[in-house]
Amino acid sequence: MHRRLFIKLLSQSAFVSYGLLTCPVLGWSKSAFDLALEGQNLIQQKNFSKAIKALQDAVRIDPESDWAFGLLGRAHLGLGQKAEAVAGFRESVRLNPADTYSRMMIEIITQNPIPKLEKKKRPLTPLEKEAMHEERDMLKKLRAEKGLGYKVKRVVIDAGHGGFDPGAVGQKGLKEKDVTLDLAIKLHERLARKGKIKSFLTRTGDYYIPLSARTATANQFQADLFISIHINANKNRQPSGSETYFCSEKASSAEAAKVAALENSVLKYDEPYKKKQGYIDIEEILFKFEQKLNWSESGKFAKAFQARFKKRLPLKSRGIHSANFYVLRRAKMPAILLETGFISNPDDEAKLKQPAFREKIVDAVARGLV
Amino acid sequence: MRIRGQGPGIRGLGSGIRDHGSGIRAKYVIFAVLLFFCCSSVVAAADVNELIFQGADYHYKGNLDKAVSRFEQAVKLDSENEYAHNQLGILYGKKGKFDKAFREFLTVADIDRQNTFALLWVGILHLRKGEMNQAFERFDKIIQIDQNSADGYYFLGTIYNFRRNPVMAIEYLKKARNADSGEADTHFRLAKAFHNADMIANALLEYNRTLEIKPSYTKALNEIGWIYYNTGKKEAAIKQWRKTLKINSKDRDAVLNLAKVYNDSAWDAFTSGKRKNALKYWQKTLNINPGNKAAKYYMAKYGSD
Repeated sequence: MHRRLFIKLLSQSAFVSYGLLTCPVLGWSKSAFDLALEGQNLIQQKNFSKAIKALQDAVRIDPESDWAFGLLGRAHLGLGQKAEAVAGFRESVRLNPADTYSRMMIEIITQNPIPKLEKKKRPLTPLEKEAMHEERDMLKKLRAEKGLGYKVKRVVIDAGHGGFDPGAVGQKGLKEKDVTLDLAIKLHERLARKGKIKSFLTRTGDYYIPLSARTATANQFQADLFISIHINANKNRQPSGSETYFCSEKASSAEAAKVAALENSVLKYDEPYKKKQGYIDIEEILFKFEQKLNWSESGKFAKAFQARFKKRLPLKSRGIHSANFYVLRRAKMPAILLETGFISNPDDEAKLKQPAFREKIVDAVARGLV
Repeated sequence: MRIRGQGPGIRGLGSGIRDHGSGIRAKYVIFAVLLFFCCSSVVAAADVNELIFQGADYHYKGNLDKAVSRFEQAVKLDSENEYAHNQLGILYGKKGKFDKAFREFLTVADIDRQNTFALLWVGILHLRKGEMNQAFERFDKIIQIDQNSADGYYFLGTIYNFRRNPVMAIEYLKKARNADSGEADTHFRLAKAFHNADMIANALLEYNRTLEIKPSYTKALNEIGWIYYNTGKKEAAIKQWRKTLKINSKDRDAVLNLAKVYNDSAWDAFTSGKRKNALKYWQKTLNINPGNKAAKYYMAKYGSD
């Protein structure tokens, strides 16, 4: 085509298009504003059906018009179409968060149930397809259990200390880090044999793991319970027996508070939560509720384990204690710390050396879990 | 219903009243008419509606005291006005007066047993007090009344998640998602339930959906990191936690996850005789977590050799 002719035709077509868009005689020439205004007038005349049509055209031309969406909400409400009304008001608020009126209407309408809007279907993405197949296969295997009882299917077992940190050392040279590792591995193997509960270890050899990494492992595997295994010690050789600790806001005794303070002293605390003024933070309510539940569940586990120790171990039971332990608090699941004897006590140390005694400890813990 | 968003703009949303075409007066008239239709009992409608409108406007502007005063006057004129009582409940809650808030929502629940907004808040305030069973009952009641209540399903699913019951959690959270797919928290908690049930593709899908709605949802980024790490994609995992740190450089989970993964890598390298690599990873640990006791010790011991 000749260049000059092309430009001429282009200019003519542009002129025609402009004329079509601006000519008020033709229906499609109205602007979004005109249509919204028309819709508003129709609402005032209670002609809601016509108003909806005009307003739907308005939002088609200008999908950013919060005003038109708000009016669309009103028109639908006029016809009793609550779900559509809420959708219109919501879009208006999304486009203009300062639209008090639409926001208020959403709140008023949704105080009571409203019918659901049908959604448009679209083709599935590859991940959605994979997820669909996975869900079909997996949900068949998983058994739905009603009731609000706490379910334990995964446990992270933490062998206390390790590497350059031997923990407490007995008079005969028995090291806490070696006993805890042996107990942890034995427990892990026992649970693997039974097959009902999956277990994971924070360490599998003689190396040091910081406290923070131990709870990170629990979070890594979405554990339902975190068990930290330790052996107690005291400057005085007299104390002996087993005890179980769990996390709580307040220490159960001055002694427990001291133990927690000693453990926490080397760690930095999180920054305190800064409450937003004039705002009810529901996620914060849920977070605190979950923490409370986890702590309460930890107390129940502590009680169950200690009861097993009392029944099955030839050790004095020193009961359960609670305090605000950093290592337990960082866990996002119930968490307990077992002290299975005093390595500083010659009798306990001798028992802890025996494989048969260690098996008894493992047995007591495994039974406490089921 | 999106109760979790709480709607009203407490944080400077401006006047919220704009003059379009016929202006505020016409808008007010329409509002009054609609309010009359919406509220079950309206006594002295004009006065009450005026007070409610003012109260709502003060609420949106963040002037809680004036809003409370207007709604208190409104319920004096119309003691059965559900909207006014509900707004008072929210306002008392925002002012930290949860007992008073609780009473307002209970009042509404007495006036109208179908008022799911009030029931939800009663449930939430039970959760706040740590009363799981009472909260559960309220949420359960809501879904009996309204089978499309995204919030009712959300809280029930969340409670099941907390009880480590992923099958029930998935069932309810899927219903919450299907009723309202626009809530990032719903997708996140559903993802957690799938993750807890070892349904990794579904977990990943829902974590991704969380991030589509709210790209700054660092908890979702952190969990995706673990999914990658647990399936052998270490570098991809590290990338996720780095993304979190770009959003919030103090995110403790991301810092500690990275520190753990670097430390693990260092130890693996060290035990397979790759000391140089091990030192590189311990240094990385210290860069991200300078107080890390393990990396500090091993760097001091082997770093100067």
